[in-house]
Amino acid sequence: MLFMINSNKMFFFFTLFFSTLISISSNSWLGCWIGLEINLLSFIPLITSPNNLLNSEASLKYFLTQSIAPINFLFSILLKLLMLNFFFHDLFSIMINSSLLMKMGSIPFHFWFPNIMEGLSWLNCFILMTWQKISPLILLSYYMNINFISIIMIFNCIIGVIGSFNQNSIRKLMAFSSINNLGWMMSSLMISESIWKLFFFLYSFLIMIMCIMSYLINIFFINQLFNINLNFFFKISIMINFLSLGGLPPLLGFFSKWMIINFLIMNNMFLITFFFIMSSLIMIFVYIRIIYSSLLSYSFKFKWFKNFIKYNYIMIINFFSLISLSGMIFSTFFFI
Amino acid sequence: MMKFMFMLLFIIPLCFLQNMFWLVYLFLMLMMFMFMNLSINIMNFCNLSYMLGCDMISYGLIILSIWISALMIMSSQSLLKMKFYLNFFLFNIIMLMLMLFLTFSVMNMFMFYLFFEGSLIPTLLLIMGWGYQPERIQAGMYLLFYTLFASLPLLLGIFYIYINNYSMMMYFFKFNSYECIYLYVAMILAFLVKMPMYFLHLWLPKAHVEAPISGSMILAAVMLKLGGYGLLRVMMILQKIGLKMNYIMVVISLIGGLYISLKCFCQIDMKSLIAYSSVAHMGMVIGGIMTMNYWGYLGSYIMMIGHGLCSSGMFCLSNINYERLGSRSLFINKGLMNFMPSMSMWWFLLLSSNMAAPPSLNLMGEISLINSMMSWSWITMFMLMGLSFFSAGYSLYLYSYTQHGGYSLGLYSFFSGVSREYLTLMLHWLPLNLLVLKIDYVMIWF
Repeated sequence: MLFMINSNKMFFFFTLFFSTLISISSNSWLGCWIGLEINLLSFIPLITSPNNLLNSEASLKYFLTQSIAPINFLFSILLKLLMLNFFFHDLFSIMINSSLLMKMGSIPFHFWFPNIMEGLSWLNCFILMTWQKISPLILLSYYMNINFISIIMIFNCIIGVIGSFNQNSIRKLMAFSSINNLGWMMSSLMISESIWKLFFFLYSFLIMIMCIMSYLINIFFINQLFNINLNFFFKISIMINFLSLGGLPPLLGFFSKWMIINFLIMNNMFLITFFFIMSSLIMIFVYIRIIYSSLLSYSFKFKWFKNFIKYNYIMIINFFSLISLSGMIFSTFFFI
Repeated sequence: MMKFMFMLLFIIPLCFLQNMFWLVYLFLMLMMFMFMNLSINIMNFCNLSYMLGCDMISYGLIILSIWISALMIMSSQSLLKMKFYLNFFLFNIIMLMLMLFLTFSVMNMFMFYLFFEGSLIPTLLLIMGWGYQPERIQAGMYLLFYTLFASLPLLLGIFYIYINNYSMMMYFFKFNSYECIYLYVAMILAFLVKMPMYFLHLWLPKAHVEAPISGSMILAAVMLKLGGYGLLRVMMILQKIGLKMNYIMVVISLIGGLYISLKCFCQIDMKSLIAYSSVAHMGMVIGGIMTMNYWGYLGSYIMMIGHGLCSSGMFCLSNINYERLGSRSLFINKGLMNFMPSMSMWWFLLLSSNMAAPPSLNLMGEISLINSMMSWSWITMFMLMGLSFFSAGYSLYLYSYTQHGGYSLGLYSFFSGVSREYLTLMLHWLPLNLLVLKIDYVMIWF
């Protein structure tokens, strides 16, 4: 919606998609690097808007971090090219992996991620949380140091949870939940790419509903949810989608977690799985903090603060939440 | 089975129409009678395609959950009066019913887990959405996180069994047996929290006190039985390790039940008294299941059905008082025989069933549970003696405190019971005491 009316942004939107495709389909590391750089240069114009100061700050931060990451990437792939005969494989893989981790905002290079999310609009948040992760994750799968990444993904889950304690801004919460989900994504990447695709698709779907809803009612902080006077069905949709994102069983978000847990157990990774599910448990707690207002049907609201949403948007939201409510149930009918 | 599932699914649009409160109730009752007419072959896991692999115990528990869901709608008429999110309430009950239905009828252990957890969200919504005090947030959180914390390891355990057993079908559990203590803990902990066993029961009184009447009815009647059902199924694969470790659970639940029944005497809130009494009864059920003998399995099943009907009826009674007096405190609910003599009879009937007086299912269950535990070890005799004695004690305590004596002087005008309430209570009490006449049906469930 936002992009359709602005031809500049449409162009950069196109290059954003295109650059990801370049980097995930190229044959050489250098091509990957080019894709990453184009990605950076096309996302920054998307961030900026003339009437918001936070946006330009965020774009500056984004530029700094995201230019350091591909430079490191370039450095390590060139070094690897020169010293291919030596046996520094662990070192190179860790270097390449960490530059990619920085690119997608994972532990231990995650500090820019919530800060930048704080300055973005909801649609940009959606792009940052989903699309911007594709190329680093795919490149990670090409050259992955399993031991390193195993530790990283456990820490991703834990830090994602710890960071989201006592957080009031929903955008920051979503950033930390994205860090948490990054752990799941890396583990699925370790197992197979098709499971990663499934997980990533479902995660993007849920995040998309989340971002559209928050964009529609213009909400950035938890306490705004408490005194807003919303349509009842909209409230229920918020609840369903957050619970689904948390991965509570009959909802769609559980499906992806089920797949990953199943395959992790099959590969005898009990400890990692244990960390994952326990951190996701605490993540559910955080989500439920957000949706208190929609869980309590009898709660405080302002009469004079009514939020009107276009009817067709409500239909879209209801349709999506119907999918995330019943998608799991219908998919389980194949297994009964 | 599919026809009942589709019936439930097609009740859902009905929930969103206006003035469909009693129609939904009637459809649930209709479904109940159609379900009762199914001819089920009693032996285990017959009718695989037609009944989704129900055996006798799942059949009985499904009937119980349909029955209780219908009575939930019937007993929460105050929502209808106030028009308090009625459509969503009905939808919630139907969703819960669907989840419970599937939980009891599936054979795949993972599907069982899925619907087991799925019944959690509608319950949480009932408590948080329709509860009374602001403390319901805390109660809902307790409910959710106690259950989730214990049940996520269950998921790992199920997948572990899957990769070792190459199947998650419950029927094949009997061909394999594990000796891993972690697996043991992971598999039973979720059910023990759900039951709840002593030490893990803290969420239950909180949830009951904060829940609306429909929430505590379904919680006491069916949600606790999910735990028992799961334990009955899971013990099949844990036989070897169970022989070593089960005594811990038996001891904890029996001694805990004794403590809890002493604690019942200290309660001043009627609902929390009933909640604690259900913890005590469930302690006996856990003891019976954990002895892993025939009597124990039968007794736990009968006790679960009996306790489901009985405690749900008692919650109904406490709500009837609450709607009139505006309080559940025993200091205000006293001397009610002066006002509602006929209701006093229902108090007596249900409380006497709760203390396992003769024609009730609870007596049958208690006898067989006592048999099973006595044959397991004679030392349990002391705890069992205390449990039965004190269960009679606190039932009488509740009865005499609410019915006898002078009434509270602060009472304002109210009317005595209406026929809907008497009908609700009768529908709780009648199956509880008439099912004894056909007890062989439940005594050979596996």
